[in-house]
Amino acid sequence: MERAAPTKIALPGPDRAIPVLLLLGLVLLPFLARSNGYVLQVFTHALLLATLALAWNILGAGGLVSLGHAAFFGVGAYSSGILSLRPGLSPWLTIPVGGLFGAGLAVMVGLLCRRLRGAYFALATLAFVEIPRVVTDNWDGLTRGSLGLVGLPGLPALTLGPWRVEIGSSASASYNLVLSYALVVVFLVALLWRSNLGLALQAAREEETAAKAVGIHVDRYRLLSLILSAFLTGTSGAIYVHLTRYTVPGLVYSLHFSAVPVIFAMCGGRFTILGPALAALVLYPVDQFLFHPLLPAGHEFLYGLFLILVVLFMPGGFWGALRRSP
Amino acid sequence: MTLLHLEGLGKQFGEVWALRDLDFALEEGEVVGLVGPNGAGKTTLFNLISGRIKPTTGSIVFAGQDIRALEPHAICHLGIGRTFQSSRPFPRLTVVQNVLVGRVFGKEVRFRPRADDLETARELLEVVGLGHKVDTPAGYLTPSEQRRLDLARALATRPRLLLLDEVAAGFSPVAIKQAVDLVRRVQERGATLFVIDHFLNLSLRVSNRLLALDQGEKVAEGPPPEVMRNREVIRAYLGLRHEDEND
Repeated sequence: MERAAPTKIALPGPDRAIPVLLLLGLVLLPFLARSNGYVLQVFTHALLLATLALAWNILGAGGLVSLGHAAFFGVGAYSSGILSLRPGLSPWLTIPVGGLFGAGLAVMVGLLCRRLRGAYFALATLAFVEIPRVVTDNWDGLTRGSLGLVGLPGLPALTLGPWRVEIGSSASASYNLVLSYALVVVFLVALLWRSNLGLALQAAREEETAAKAVGIHVDRYRLLSLILSAFLTGTSGAIYVHLTRYTVPGLVYSLHFSAVPVIFAMCGGRFTILGPALAALVLYPVDQFLFHPLLPAGHEFLYGLFLILVVLFMPGGFWGALRRSP
Repeated sequence: MTLLHLEGLGKQFGEVWALRDLDFALEEGEVVGLVGPNGAGKTTLFNLISGRIKPTTGSIVFAGQDIRALEPHAICHLGIGRTFQSSRPFPRLTVVQNVLVGRVFGKEVRFRPRADDLETARELLEVVGLGHKVDTPAGYLTPSEQRRLDLARALATRPRLLLLDEVAAGFSPVAIKQAVDLVRRVQERGATLFVIDHFLNLSLRVSNRLLALDQGEKVAEGPPPEVMRNREVIRAYLGLRHEDEND
């Protein structure tokens, strides 16, 4: 019986240990940090950013760089926030709907930018964030404009027979929820990368002309990858808004949420499945625990620094450096 | 049966006609060598047939269907495969993944991977002599290995017509002999071949016919010995001295 190993795109041999150890640490964290709500909060946010980086890299797998994923994040956050506030729907329903709104926006972006590549695509996405932001900012009747959405419902309690978990009010329950969501995202992304769709995207990234010549409908698969990427990003935005329970346009349609997934994907290894998540789980806590106390105003320079170092010395990212393949 | 029919085919880049008013037909099952000096329009012709660029004039009919307006991936699905003058592997994918891409996407698209796709990819790599490199990233191959990988990937799409662009350029005499055998084997599988061969190291041995181009225009077509004796072809390749022209 032949092993299927040679067709795998990432994760050969020894670096299987890292995801296992990482998962173990993440599962045990609420017990280790029981008395420290701040630590849990930081890791909750790190996990959420990890989902953004993973989702961003679905598009990255096909070779496109988006500098505007905050558009999908913000649309997901706002649509879920508004639906939970006005008709008063349950966030369990509005969160995936937020993802669908993100996906809907992606269809527009994808069709408009279908011919763009490289820096042109990146710049177009950067500009595209402004459209939903300006709409949100000015459609006062729906979004309350720059006043933002306040008093949003938190994540409701989960009831399962005799058990009832208060998610909104418990730091460790929120953490566990985001961890579960992140694991679902990892599972989906890994499935995608290893599917034939993942193969097509990577072939298009490596050599677009050749990919077309061997029968790959590059534009279609890239559009599909953008929609999936935006759906997950919108879902993450929706979860985020119910964790923080308020938002203003400048918070979610921000450069921060556009740049951070790019930085994490580049640093972690954009040719790998788990690299982007790994970078989020390392860099964000380092930023919050080490640099934020030292430099409250300019702590985010860390990201810039790491990005430069990685680009110069580790073009494959952290994960790429752990492996020997190119 | 005519497999590929070109009529009045022309391509203009700015002021320059890279190819002008070409009429030509390929019969199913034959091997045709496409020869001519640099700038003759050989690769332009391949780019037109494979849909990478669109013609300025004329028509391209493949198996009875006008493919002039189709996208490259659709043309591949109809059964036209190609290699590139400078090979274009997917460098970070392994050698076998490169071929698997052709196998999975070359005809109808399947999203459920099949174990025998992988098996077929391995077999094709054996055919081109890369069986020992299946798990190497394609970017690590030598240029001549990358050419053979290009060929295996194109074969994996199961083409009825295969366009080979300088597949033997820079090969050693031994490798050329292997390439000749390879082309014959591909032909025996039922494929029709159109072979660009600037240095004439492959096409004279494998071709049923030659098509000679110079500066975008057809100068000769016919059996190889006849075309190679053609005055225009010799002039295009070597230049003719004045006294030669009078004899």
